[in-house]
Amino acid sequence: MAAQGGVVFQEKVSRLLSRQDGKPALKPNRPLVLRDAVANRKLKKGEATCITEMSVMMACWKQNNFVDGLCSSEMNAFYTCVNKAQAAMKNKSEQSSLQGGRLHPKQATALLRRYPNLRTEI
Amino acid sequence: MAASISGLLKPWTPRVFLVRWSRYNPYYLEPEVRKEAYSTPETELSAEEKAQRELKALRPIKAATIGVNSSVFSDPVLSKFINMLMTDGNKVLAREIVTQTLESIKRKQVEKYHKAPEGKEEEIECNPYTIFHQALENCKPVVGLASIQKGGKYYQVPIPLTDNRRRYLAMKWMITECRDNRHRRTHMYEKLSQELLAASVKEGNVIKKKFELHKMAEANRAYAHYRWW
Repeated sequence: MAAQGGVVFQEKVSRLLSRQDGKPALKPNRPLVLRDAVANRKLKKGEATCITEMSVMMACWKQNNFVDGLCSSEMNAFYTCVNKAQAAMKNKSEQSSLQGGRLHPKQATALLRRYPNLRTEI
Repeated sequence: MAASISGLLKPWTPRVFLVRWSRYNPYYLEPEVRKEAYSTPETELSAEEKAQRELKALRPIKAATIGVNSSVFSDPVLSKFINMLMTDGNKVLAREIVTQTLESIKRKQVEKYHKAPEGKEEEIECNPYTIFHQALENCKPVVGLASIQKGGKYYQVPIPLTDNRRRYLAMKWMITECRDNRHRRTHMYEKLSQELLAASVKEGNVIKKKFELHKMAEANRAYAHYRWW
């Protein structure tokens, strides 16, 4: 597919660069070559997790002048919340990579690096 | 990340087996060092453990490092502490220091035990390993601060820390404090034993540092919403 459209595409590019039809439409300062990597992009901006637990724990600290032994129940609640949030994030990242139909940008970059663009003829 | 990449690899045996390296292909599995895993009979294993054993028969396995041990006296936390204390690869010296530290802790505690009145003898902890673990537990911070940029300015935002990070911070504080704030003539093991004993009863400079971190986090709790994870 790329090979059939390739020659036509190359001719179009060379026409855009040439001075025959007036000024050249493109003046590239870098060579027109595809990169062997894909940009890292995260679609949704997440929110901060476990803020209520943290604020409850810090209020307890303020009351008890930062003595640890008196705030153990709030601290345990905070730890359980943090562990749950980490597990949830792990599961979510695995699921979304498989279900989205698209490849994760890091996986795409890894595959592209194995089969890079040929820069020299040898 | 490594797990997802290893799913893309086909079943493969390496032509050269790596023995003394530390960076392996994610295809390699971790070695099993504990004796109990090999002494349980076939019937007591669950289905997952049997599947894991079959997988281990097919996949290449990483070489075990010198630090891990299958003896009853080996302690992964203590090994990590020895590694962090080590400079220029001098593991012998670091291990010497830590053994001398544990010995001096034991001596001090036994002295206290014999001098204590009748009622208080059971309360004094003589096992240096439990004192070490207790001291590290008391030094671990609960929340840490991260520098997050928002609107051109950098804010110190309180974030929850992973267990590994907390353990690392506790050990790092202990070691730096003992290196910087000791008298010219005291040995490292002496100063370490003093700090560990103080930390096990929640006194001392390392505990103070932990409390200062907590106070900073509490003062900056308004910025907690700048986190996105």
